[in-house]
Amino acid sequence: MEEMNFEEMRNQFAILKDQLKKQEIVSDRLLRETMKANRSKINSTKRMCYVCAAVAILVTPLNYYTHAWGLVFSIATCLMMLLCAVATYYIHKPVDNLNFMRDDFATVARVMARFKKHYDMWLYYCSPTIGIPWLIWACYEFAWKNAPEGVNPWGLTIPVIVGAVVGFLIGIYYHFKAVNAAKDILAEIEG
Amino acid sequence: MKQEEYFTQLVREHKSTIYTVCYMFSQDEEEVNDLFQETLINMWKGIDSFREESKISTWIYRVALNTCLLQERKKKRQVAKVPLTMDVNFFQDDDANAAQVRMLHQRIGKLGLVDRALVMMWLEGMSYDEIGAVMGISAQNVGVKLFRIKESLKKAKSDE
Repeated sequence: MEEMNFEEMRNQFAILKDQLKKQEIVSDRLLRETMKANRSKINSTKRMCYVCAAVAILVTPLNYYTHAWGLVFSIATCLMMLLCAVATYYIHKPVDNLNFMRDDFATVARVMARFKKHYDMWLYYCSPTIGIPWLIWACYEFAWKNAPEGVNPWGLTIPVIVGAVVGFLIGIYYHFKAVNAAKDILAEIEG
Repeated sequence: MKQEEYFTQLVREHKSTIYTVCYMFSQDEEEVNDLFQETLINMWKGIDSFREESKISTWIYRVALNTCLLQERKKKRQVAKVPLTMDVNFFQDDDANAAQVRMLHQRIGKLGLVDRALVMMWLEGMSYDEIGAVMGISAQNVGVKLFRIKESLKKAKSDE
């Protein structure tokens, strides 16, 4: 009975192959389009991280020259953004290096699991360790230390907090976008 | 032989293998079309590395399966969609052959991605070593997995 099932599957597979043999399937136009294509891998999360880091590094000196932030804080902010960009590069590199022609399923699964683990570590440990002290320091610099005279510091603290919350939400969106993509691939591999 | 000619010949020779993989991982004709084109693009991009490969079927399976697994399905295609040149539609045609193929598609479709890939390569007649090379597991492991898949297929059949 069992062998009959698989014999039936083999026959069905043979029918499929036989049907396909009679088909042209691939047109000249399809081949031309294929050979024209030079697809670059899109990774919106990585690109977003790089753009944010670049903008922050460019904007931070402006804040320093307008006396909104002190020199030490400006340098620390630039270094923090640089660290984020380097971490992004480090986390994404193995995924970018995945080779469609060379890598087997086990390799893909390993790389995706590592990618997800690194992203989770970044969210749960690195982001709070770096982000919370930076936010407190930013509030102090912007609203207390360098605030114009006569302005209530708490009034200036609110925009910093709002900005941080918006930034956090955008970051979370892109974080889970990347992590969910990795989870989907892992789930498919693991069945 | 120019690379373009070589690629064209390769695709034409193995079109049915590529189509089979894409078909088994798709839910409709449009998805087959997408996956097929995506697989060809990945093959074209890796044509140089292919020359170093010893087994054509192993390489094609690897590229096609990785494409099915990793392609960003929800993203807009970056190349113009070109329809496949087919007189049959295995998802819709009513004749006996299409019905048989659809039955196979349904059976295999019930399996997880790895199991689906294993069964397809087994039906293709690839050796356990070749299957193992595509999947990144040992030939022995392939045997064990295939045994389990056969058991689950047998159970699914008896439940029908």
